[in-house]
Amino acid sequence: MSYLAQNLEGLRKRYPALAQITQENSGGLLTVVPSREGSPSATHEGRWVHSGYDPRKEAHAWAEAQLLEWKVGELGVVLGVGLLYHVEALVALKSQGAMLAVVVPNVAELKDAASARLMETWTNKVEWVWGTSAAMAEQLVEKSAALRFMTYGPAACLHADAHRDLETGLRRIVAAKQTGRLHVAVVGPIYGGSLGIARHTVAALEALGHRVTWLDQSPHQESYEAFGVYREPRHRLTMQSRFADMLSVGIVTHLAEDPPDLVLALAQAPMNLAVLEHLRKKKFLTAMWFVENYRHLTYWRQLAGGYDYWFVIQQASCVEALKRAGARHVDYLPMAADPALHRPLNLTAAEQREYGADVSFVGAGYTNRRTLLPRWLSNDRSFKLWGNEWEGADGLASVLQRAGTRIDTETCIKVFNATSVNLNLHSCAGDGLDPEADFVNPRTFELAACGAFQLVDERSLLPDLFTSNEMIRFTAAAEVPALIRTWLDDAPGRRAIAEAARRRVLAQHTYEHRVKELLATIGVHQPDRIGAIVRGDRNAGVLAQQVDTPPELAAMLRRFPPDQRVELKDVAAQIKAKGAGQELTRKELLVLMLDSYRAEMRDLV
Amino acid sequence: MPRALLIQLARLGDLLQSLPAITQLNARYPEMQFDLLCPSHLSEVGRMLPGVEKVIEWDGAAWHRRARVAQQDLREEHLVEVDATLMALAPDRYDCAYVLNQHYRALIAGSLLARRVKGPFLQGPLGETLTPWAAYVRDVAQRRSGRRVHLADAFCGLCGVSPPGCVVMLDPPAVRLPDDLEPIGKQGAPWIALIVGAGEAERFVPTEVWRRWITSFLTSMPQGRVVLVGTERERAAEIQSPLPPSVLGRIWDTTGRTSLLQLAAILARCRRVVGSDTGPLHFAAALGRPVIGWYFSRARVHETGPYGFHHVVWQAEEMRGGTWPIDETTAAIHKQDHHAPVGWSVWTSHCDTWGAYYSPAGQSACPPREREGLWHELEPALS
Repeated sequence: MSYLAQNLEGLRKRYPALAQITQENSGGLLTVVPSREGSPSATHEGRWVHSGYDPRKEAHAWAEAQLLEWKVGELGVVLGVGLLYHVEALVALKSQGAMLAVVVPNVAELKDAASARLMETWTNKVEWVWGTSAAMAEQLVEKSAALRFMTYGPAACLHADAHRDLETGLRRIVAAKQTGRLHVAVVGPIYGGSLGIARHTVAALEALGHRVTWLDQSPHQESYEAFGVYREPRHRLTMQSRFADMLSVGIVTHLAEDPPDLVLALAQAPMNLAVLEHLRKKKFLTAMWFVENYRHLTYWRQLAGGYDYWFVIQQASCVEALKRAGARHVDYLPMAADPALHRPLNLTAAEQREYGADVSFVGAGYTNRRTLLPRWLSNDRSFKLWGNEWEGADGLASVLQRAGTRIDTETCIKVFNATSVNLNLHSCAGDGLDPEADFVNPRTFELAACGAFQLVDERSLLPDLFTSNEMIRFTAAAEVPALIRTWLDDAPGRRAIAEAARRRVLAQHTYEHRVKELLATIGVHQPDRIGAIVRGDRNAGVLAQQVDTPPELAAMLRRFPPDQRVELKDVAAQIKAKGAGQELTRKELLVLMLDSYRAEMRDLV
Repeated sequence: MPRALLIQLARLGDLLQSLPAITQLNARYPEMQFDLLCPSHLSEVGRMLPGVEKVIEWDGAAWHRRARVAQQDLREEHLVEVDATLMALAPDRYDCAYVLNQHYRALIAGSLLARRVKGPFLQGPLGETLTPWAAYVRDVAQRRSGRRVHLADAFCGLCGVSPPGCVVMLDPPAVRLPDDLEPIGKQGAPWIALIVGAGEAERFVPTEVWRRWITSFLTSMPQGRVVLVGTERERAAEIQSPLPPSVLGRIWDTTGRTSLLQLAAILARCRRVVGSDTGPLHFAAALGRPVIGWYFSRARVHETGPYGFHHVVWQAEEMRGGTWPIDETTAAIHKQDHHAPVGWSVWTSHCDTWGAYYSPAGQSACPPREREGLWHELEPALS
């Protein structure tokens, strides 16, 4: 009997459907070649999938490394199939009772493996997961809430897209099931556009029930700007840099006094690399939501290795660039809107007169806007331009409102609501449309959340966020006048598009959605820390019901509300509340002893 | 045989200051076996203490690791593990624990390891009311506002025993020194050990001051040698770096190279030991070496001066203009003169029934009356 027949016979006992489709598949994804020591190895398009010298030895070393992170109770999930040497090694090394799953994105590869080697002794000791990425995500979550991914790189790279889709599917499932309460410290910038996004993020985290420590750096803006008086740019930069360093020490002090589960920084947060490395040594988890165009602001190069997780508003090239610079985890997380703030308004007649126009644009006077907006003016319709940094834009002087002063968020929202056609032109340094048009700006989501109609310049990432029925986009400046005319004449059409866009925002693009996805992403990578907390595994009710929880500890836990997250310090505080003179059990004393050391752990400053 | 556990989880100086209490407990309860629980890194010193049968090592770093894990995810297995660790340390609970620290964890350790705890709080580990002696020790530690009862004698009070009325000394350990340190104490004279650092930065003598002291001493004593001791290698290097080769040839730098037993052996070979209020200074005193202490910042001679006889302490009354008793202390070694620069006073150590005390140098021993009064007040049964 051939290896294939023996292997499939073994597989068929628990996975008849997988055995069947493997048998029917023609295989041939891998090229099987003998290794130096004689066992079969494999290549794919000329690249080795296993060692050409000794695949078993290599697999054993890989498996040993995985055991270091694999915690009790977690389902190990192997990404990468190849000839499955690494899975065999992991099965041999894993502790009894530990569950292991293997993801099979392409059955052809499994057929190659099953044809090349005998695996019948262990094939039924693992869970096989196959199908579409979404189906595999569902299967994995059904098997265990805590997943520990183990990537065998040489084979996993054959299916990078499928694995990425699998992770996306898992994130969505995890995000939808979040019940636990995290403590997140949000670090904002001293000033700038990401300050507002930091505030929205704080609001979203709080709305989701998490405890937030908002480390607002904006009160320091005046002091920071005071260093701008120096004539010599080098002096100015040095002083401002030193000031930012001092602020980062202040941030560390806050973190030391009230340690969070996660430190989430927004772009331009004053956290330098030394501080980030210090935090990592002290086991803090850090994440950065880099809501900037990575091509324009490049300080990420210095900080890439400092944060544990990066979230960016651009894909492919941005993700690759950050990884090349040392970032360990980089994920796409687009901008969003806060529907509590960005909302449809019933304006008074006076407000409608003040803020309303046929066409409006709100934003700063970047070069391309100065060039393009005058071309879109027309005597046939009213046009209002709002925002600052328009000095010298003579062609727009007649439409510039409030002499080009900066307007606040509430005024923006009134303008959005009062305008028939809002123009949304992403900024760039050139004269025309952004030649590298990928990310979608916050304004897109804010206008949509307001139920306001907008014409937006095309972005490569926009179709994934809004369909053409939800947003009208233009690919050339010359298209805009005709689009304005068309849509000004079609009020019902504008309303239908805007309402569809708002529905989409409410369904998928709020800051709450983003925060959930961010936490789910970290949770997938940190199943025993953030993952366990967001799943609610640290809630008193869940902890009390765990089979290994002894009656005495369960009794302590039942004194808390079932949905309250409970940590060592909470149990200790409850014990201390018994007061002086009370007899303490041995378990209670042990909890107090551990807590006395916990209280000393964050010697950060 | 009844068994008792002394718990001292603080630093080297506190462990050595516990010696009178250990001595008196043994005298008071001769049928009792006394074991000691102390930090792992001090266990060598613990084993040198007379009256201690067995030393149990407390691994604080391991407790930190366990707490970190339990903080992330409190599970039964974590409690089981720490329980097993404690059981391995002391399979049978002690009849009584004498807790000499006021740290919460020392009290909990006592409650876990012994059936009865004699500690600083009146109502168990959750109590907040200090015993009278514990309140006195806290005042000494925090405000330096003692009333002339030495900390080591206050430890006796904490344990319910009176001071020993004599000085118990440690035997120098028989330990091999690194070959290059073996000549210490054997060639030339006198050998003076200088403690370069301190556990707290506020007790650091500036390196430049120590450099001046070394220069002054070696100039006045052509045969003299200086042995730098402690763990602070960088400070020792900073002290030596500008010194000329002729001076460096008479300095023996042992910093950061010795175990505590080797440190004890080196201290025991020196005629005098000079330093601020630090663990090694008390170690030297316990080994019977006459020491010279520079007490400043919050260090007060009457409460934490070296225990025993023939010790001299220069006490800063107020630090003015960076004046240090450099020439005065070298003169004391040379001529047994005891003078004080402006802002300092000089004291010599004594001991009697009520414990250790210090009198102004050059005057006859004058036991302070406050001590007896305090013992009557805090421990009437013993007075």
